[in-house]
Amino acid sequence: MLLPHATLAEPQHFSLAEKLIFLALIVASIAAFWRRFGAVLDKILKSKKDPGFRLFPIGRRVWDFFREVMCQARVIRQRPLPGLAHAFVFWAFCAFALVTLNHCATGFGGAFLDPAGLFGRFYSWLAAAFALACAIGIFGLFVRRFLVRPRWLGEDLSWESGLIALLIFVLMVTYLAAFFVTDTAPAARVLWWIHSLTLLAFLPVIPHTKHLHLVLSPFTIFLSRGGFSAIPSLAGDEDFGLVAGKDLTQIVSLQTYSCVECGRCSEHCPATNTGKLLNPKEIVLGLRGYLNEFGPASEESLIGKYVAQEAVFQCTTCGSCEFQCPVGIEHVPILVGLRRGAVNTGAWDDDHGGKLFLALERGSNALGLGAAERDKFIQRQELPIFDGSQEYCLWLGCMGGYDPQGREIIADFARVMSYLGTSFGVLRKEKCTGDPVRRLGNDLVFQQLAESNLETLQQNKVKKIVSICPHCVRTIQTDWKEFGTPPEIEHHSEFLARHLDKLGVSPVPRLEPGKEKIVYHDPCYLGRYRNIYDEPRRVAALAGDLVEAPRHRERSFCCGAGGGLAFLGEEKGERVSHARAAELAATGATTVAAACPFCNTMFRDALAATGDGAPQLLDIAQIAARGLPRGQPVKMNESL
Amino acid sequence: MKIIVAIKQVPERDAQVRIDPVGKWIEELDVQFALNESDAYALEEALQLKEKHGGEVIVISAGPERAGQVIREALAKGADRGIHIEADDLGSRDALGVARLLAAAIQPENPDLVLAGLQSEDLGLGQTGVILAELLGFPHSSLILHVDVTAKGLKVKRELEEGWFQSIELPLPAVLAIQSGGNKLRYATLMGIKRAKTKEVRRASAGELGADASPVVILEGISLPQKQRSTQILPGSPKEASAALVEKLRFEARVL
Repeated sequence: MLLPHATLAEPQHFSLAEKLIFLALIVASIAAFWRRFGAVLDKILKSKKDPGFRLFPIGRRVWDFFREVMCQARVIRQRPLPGLAHAFVFWAFCAFALVTLNHCATGFGGAFLDPAGLFGRFYSWLAAAFALACAIGIFGLFVRRFLVRPRWLGEDLSWESGLIALLIFVLMVTYLAAFFVTDTAPAARVLWWIHSLTLLAFLPVIPHTKHLHLVLSPFTIFLSRGGFSAIPSLAGDEDFGLVAGKDLTQIVSLQTYSCVECGRCSEHCPATNTGKLLNPKEIVLGLRGYLNEFGPASEESLIGKYVAQEAVFQCTTCGSCEFQCPVGIEHVPILVGLRRGAVNTGAWDDDHGGKLFLALERGSNALGLGAAERDKFIQRQELPIFDGSQEYCLWLGCMGGYDPQGREIIADFARVMSYLGTSFGVLRKEKCTGDPVRRLGNDLVFQQLAESNLETLQQNKVKKIVSICPHCVRTIQTDWKEFGTPPEIEHHSEFLARHLDKLGVSPVPRLEPGKEKIVYHDPCYLGRYRNIYDEPRRVAALAGDLVEAPRHRERSFCCGAGGGLAFLGEEKGERVSHARAAELAATGATTVAAACPFCNTMFRDALAATGDGAPQLLDIAQIAARGLPRGQPVKMNESL
Repeated sequence: MKIIVAIKQVPERDAQVRIDPVGKWIEELDVQFALNESDAYALEEALQLKEKHGGEVIVISAGPERAGQVIREALAKGADRGIHIEADDLGSRDALGVARLLAAAIQPENPDLVLAGLQSEDLGLGQTGVILAELLGFPHSSLILHVDVTAKGLKVKRELEEGWFQSIELPLPAVLAIQSGGNKLRYATLMGIKRAKTKEVRRASAGELGADASPVVILEGISLPQKQRSTQILPGSPKEASAALVEKLRFEARVL
């Protein structure tokens, strides 16, 4: 039986000719690497500087780097098996840094690791363990790509990936095989040369293929803007978003060249999954194609040859692409940036979009209704007016103030707040937070709305806001910061979860505990955007047993309304809301619990379309209200 | 083609208006103002004509300081320059008085075409554009939905009652009063607002223009409409009740 030796074989006494050939090959390999890599680096460095970029505080960056790069946390967590295989390849590469240096030094007779010494022996065996794991890992990945073939990796087989897998496999096998020969055996020298040639062939392949991510993605992750779906401020009078190549910033360019084409973004994209033109991966690769052809200083429009306008306006900004991306690409700011470029310059022409913009230029709400409708609702519902003495300002939002279903949620939430004895009031005047125009890229209207609302809140001395709409919460808390200091705000799920011990004191009528199966749908703007997953579930569980949809929590699938798309009319292909409603109904749940009035409105029709026996749809506030003790004065939720 | 568009700033559509103590105008303090709707369509028509045939679009507005806002909005949407007739006494001027101010400012520009909105959302007189045409000595046409430029002048589409349209031709220069809804309005853009900052707005005072301010129509007072509820319950079986409802809708409400 063939057993490995205790030490790694290291061939000795290279001839001058060998040394010269090796040197020439190293120079050629590095030159071939640099020819492409230098060009890429040049495009990245010549891109516009990121306005407002700050390296500090650096702690967040170091932590992200440690978690995402060194620990491969996202790579593994979102796709455990291939993720782990990838992680072993990565860790082996790290371990091999020293091995490779020593290997090359050996060729010039300058090896610094003594294979028989204490450290040398320890390290060569450590590297061997990684090499074994890496060889198994890369073989597994090869099988997945070429035999299992998940559709997210694309229709065409990638010869590049096959070649890379082969090179890595050969590197590992030649390393391990050196444990089975002696220093002086000719086989040791042959293995050394095969290993060297593979190494030198590998280097130039990196920048010419998607394996460029080996070099770039650690930087991409370290330098990312941070914050989820963070839309950068516009800088100066000539910045209208991503209009042309000259608007692509260094970070965006770095991200486009870092894409590893793994397709995780497409796998989770609601648009890609329902037959739309948009595929987030193609947007990133499109920008890369643009940079390759036109370069970073170009005046040529970004939307055109490489990026389709139609695709850009199909994004729901659900953020699942960005959440999934293992190399730190921030898709949502890129897509919103492209929309800003098209809308801020007037290039986007869309009947529905134009109507929404005009409604918000002049009016107060995205639904285009008169503000008097909101006043009537407040009067009819006898909602208290905020006068500065109450604890909470209850933000109605467009849906809560004008939409019949949204009003039902507000009415029920107001009942719960009254029951809990929490003082609250609503503002006499309130405008849309600007969420749909912000995501559609209309900075002018967004700024007007944000400033006007901030002024109203300040005049009314509002300290704390609670809202039923995750979009309002996100926009007020994060996006308004560009124009002032918004008051503290929370989503009603957080409020309700905090008071859970006082709720659910009586059985929920119409919902029978024990028999009721409830599936909770995570809204994108509450889950991925705000990291709130457990609170709404705890409220929903008041009325029955929770079941989970196949896609839930941070992998939840969008309802189709976000990014202003709720206002853009009929979609192409399958409706996102129908795809999600079918998934929710298929859990066998009797009730779908929602926590966002936009999800609610999307599912209302979509659930009905799933056929007879469709589950009922309730907001968590409605579930909480139904558990209030009977005999409470209940105002009817009149619909207008 | 040199086109002048007369625009007016009016209280926002859903403003809660209150009558001022004198009873002749509304309390302006707590009211938001916006561009009059049919004026927005007049501006859109002018911008589209300019895009098709070239030339210049000038917006003109008479009103207090705050009216500058609608001029800037119009510049942001693509008008080339603005004229602001600064006047705080518009409440006491009738349509003739306002038209005289506009005419005095428009005359030296020698425009090819003057567009005005059909009527304002606040007073709703629908006269200013037409009187303006008389003062300028230009032919005019109102209720215009669409404008085509022909070799001889203009061919316009007018909206008549009951779904009828009328097509007429008229020579230039001319004044047209534009009806809402003929075009798709463009939205304001950030780029437009930034560019508008560099565009010229000429200010002229009513005194400089020397227009006669004596009104021929005197506003006596204004009042809010009285709210009244007159719900009727129609008795009888569903069949009888629905027959009675049809009767009432046809002969009392006259909506059928």
